Parts: sequence; structure tokens; C-alpha cells
Amino acid sequence: MIDRLRRINPLTALAAVVLLITLTYVVPAPWGPLVALTVALLAAAMTGVARRVVIIAAAVAVPTWFFLVVMNALVAPQGATVNAGGIPIATGAFLPAAWISLRLGAAIAALGWVVMTTSPQRLVRALAQRGFPAWSQYLLAASLAAVPEARRRAREVLDAQRCRGLAVGGGPVARLRATLPLAGPLMVSLVADAERRALALDARAFDARGARTSLIDVADPNEERLLRALMWGLSITLLVWGLVQ
Amino acid sequence: MSTIALALIPRAVALNLAIGAIVAALKLPVYLDSIGTVLVAALAGPLAGVLTGVTSNLVLGMLSSPTFIAFIPVTAVIGATAGFASRVGVFRSIPRAIAAGVVIGILAGVTSVPIVLALFGGVTAGGTGIITIILRALDLPLASAALISSISVDILDKVLSCIIVTVVLARLPRRIGARFGLPHPA
Repeated sequence: MIDRLRRINPLTALAAVVLLITLTYVVPAPWGPLVALTVALLAAAMTGVARRVVIIAAAVAVPTWFFLVVMNALVAPQGATVNAGGIPIATGAFLPAAWISLRLGAAIAALGWVVMTTSPQRLVRALAQRGFPAWSQYLLAASLAAVPEARRRAREVLDAQRCRGLAVGGGPVARLRATLPLAGPLMVSLVADAERRALALDARAFDARGARTSLIDVADPNEERLLRALMWGLSITLLVWGLVQ
Repeated sequence: MSTIALALIPRAVALNLAIGAIVAALKLPVYLDSIGTVLVAALAGPLAGVLTGVTSNLVLGMLSSPTFIAFIPVTAVIGATAGFASRVGVFRSIPRAIAAGVVIGILAGVTSVPIVLALFGGVTAGGTGIITIILRALDLPLASAALISSISVDILDKVLSCIIVTVVLARLPRRIGARFGLPHPA
């Protein structure tokens, strides 16, 4: 079961995420988000990413709860207040803030599980097998691959301009002025790089029509297709139910 | 869409993510995380701008925090607006670029407010959230506070992005500019 979950088709994982997020936001709190959070954390635990999923979900949910409580209970208290050391506190704001944070945490946990367990290459290949156009696959795969190179280049530009005497400190105006000598070379180099990539794409017949072969084949067994259809159906049913409610 | 526009989008997405190193080094009170989106929109039009914005937030959602995925409509609006703005030549002078930055900032702020209200209860944990809380302390309704804080942050960010893109476009090598149909500088 655990091994199967690790090798799940990325499209099935996406359908599961859509269902969990729909459940989170359509079924009233706390039950909808609690069920979604439990399922997401179980899936994360079974695939060995529970700790990371909890961290990214908590990193958004906990500060959001804190900001909401500060705003709705202390700064602009809504409803009945109790006096705590001379400060009026609207205690009724705590629970709604908790439900909003719980929903956020559940949605992020579900998305985080998919992001951490799905390799971008498998996702792109699975999309290709479902007939998504080549350009959409290229955009996602090339963007993910370009990020480390661009970060390295940004650091290089920063170091090079500092060596030439560019001051990156000082007042706000001086720092704003330093933006252009740093961002400019990075942007021009990336546009020039795009021209070289375009030539390479043209040389490899990127625009050619027709089916392409791939070295990676993502398994999509019949039971997963059925499960996907069920999850999409359930998501749509929940959405309709939510709209009627 | 041309192949060069398609090849530029992943580089622009990477720029949106990599510019953070420069912003952090300069300790600027902005993000500049749409600068690649504005650049692509200015060079290749609204469709390429929208695709860059959408892909940026998808990739950010995969590499940083899934929260960014909720804000895909905002980056799509930024790409579309910058693309249409480039068609009327706003990236040919700094004053026009500033005007475009203001418009893009307002539209981005207006688009993000319903998302912040629906998903975050009106306040995000960060600088924008602190402004919202201060405005709520001044008795402004939640929606107005969220709108004003969002727009004020976005305007500064997008004006600076548009100015930088305008200067970079003017300095782009002629040969590369010509491939995107840019007029030769006089």
C-alpha cells in the first residue's frame, strides 16, 4: 500500500488534492478541514514527508492565526469583550481565527504532500500522456530547471558589481539606485540566453506536430483511472452541494 | 507564440524567483517578484505575460510555499495588464512606465483582496498584514483596510519593476530587441 502510494500517478495525486481542498472549504469547520488535514497528514506519513508537510503547513497557519487574533480580538475587537489587565479582548474572535488557520493548514498540507512526493519530470510526462501540448510541458520543466542557474547568476552579478565598487548599503534612495546595476545585467543575460535556447529549440523541431516518444513512461492502471474519476465526481458533487447550501 | 517568447518565459520565471537575492542584499521594502513577468509581457505581449505569471506562482508553489498557488489570478492580471500596456508603448519612457506601474499595482491589489479575504480572513502574516492591522485600528472596515494595504505595497513594487524593465529594454542589444519586434533606439 505504502509502496503503491509512492508510485501513484501524478494526476491521481492532483485529483486527491482537489478533493481535499474542496472538502476543506465546502464542508463547514471543523469537520471538513479536520478530515482533509488528517488524510493529507496520513498520506504524508506513509510517504515519509510528514515532518516537512507539518512544517510548511504550520509556517502559514500559525502566523495567520496570530495576526487574525491580534486584529480581531485586540486591535479592532468585534462583539463582546472581556477585560484583561485593562485591555478589552474579544474572546469570540479566537475560534473563527482557528477555523481559518485550520483550513489554510489543511489546504497547504494537501498541496505540500503532492509537491514533495511528485517529481516534476513524472508530472510533465503524465500530462504529456494525457495529451497536454508540448509547450506547456516545456514551460513547467524548463522553469524548474532554470531557477538554480538564475539564482547562481544573481549571486555572480552581485559579487561582480560589489568588486567594481557598487555600494549596496546607505539610505533608501542609494539602495534603490543600486537596483538597476544589479538587476539590469541579470535581466539582459537571461534574455540573451533565451535567444540561444530558442535557436536550440528550433534546431530540434520543437514546433513539429505529431506524437512524441519518451524515455519515461508513467504507469496509469485502470483502478487509478477509476479512483480519479470518483474523486473528480466527488469534488464536483461537493462544490454543487456547497453552492446550494 | 514564437519560439523565442516560449524560451524566454522559463528564464523570466527563474528571474522572478532569483531577484530575491538582490532585493535581500539591498534590503529593499519591495519584492520585485513580478519583474520577469513584466519583462516578458513588454517583449512578447499579454498572453506570454499571463503564462509567465501563472508558471511563476506554480513553480513558487512547488519550490517555496503552496500558498503562492492561491495568488495565480494576481500574477495573471499583472502579466495581462503589462502586456496590453506595452502595446500602447508605455515601456518607451520612464513617466509612462511609472503610470503603468501605478495601474498594474492597483489592479494587482484589487485582484488579491478577495483571495486574502476568502482564504486568510483578510490579513496575511507579513508587512502587508501589519499595514492592514494598523488601518483596522483606525476603524477602517476590513475590506477597505485590506485593499489599501495591498494596493499601497503593490504600487511601489510594480512602479519600480516597470522602471527597471523600461531601462533594460532601452539597453537591450539591437539584434535581440529586433527578434521581439522592438523599435531601434534613435
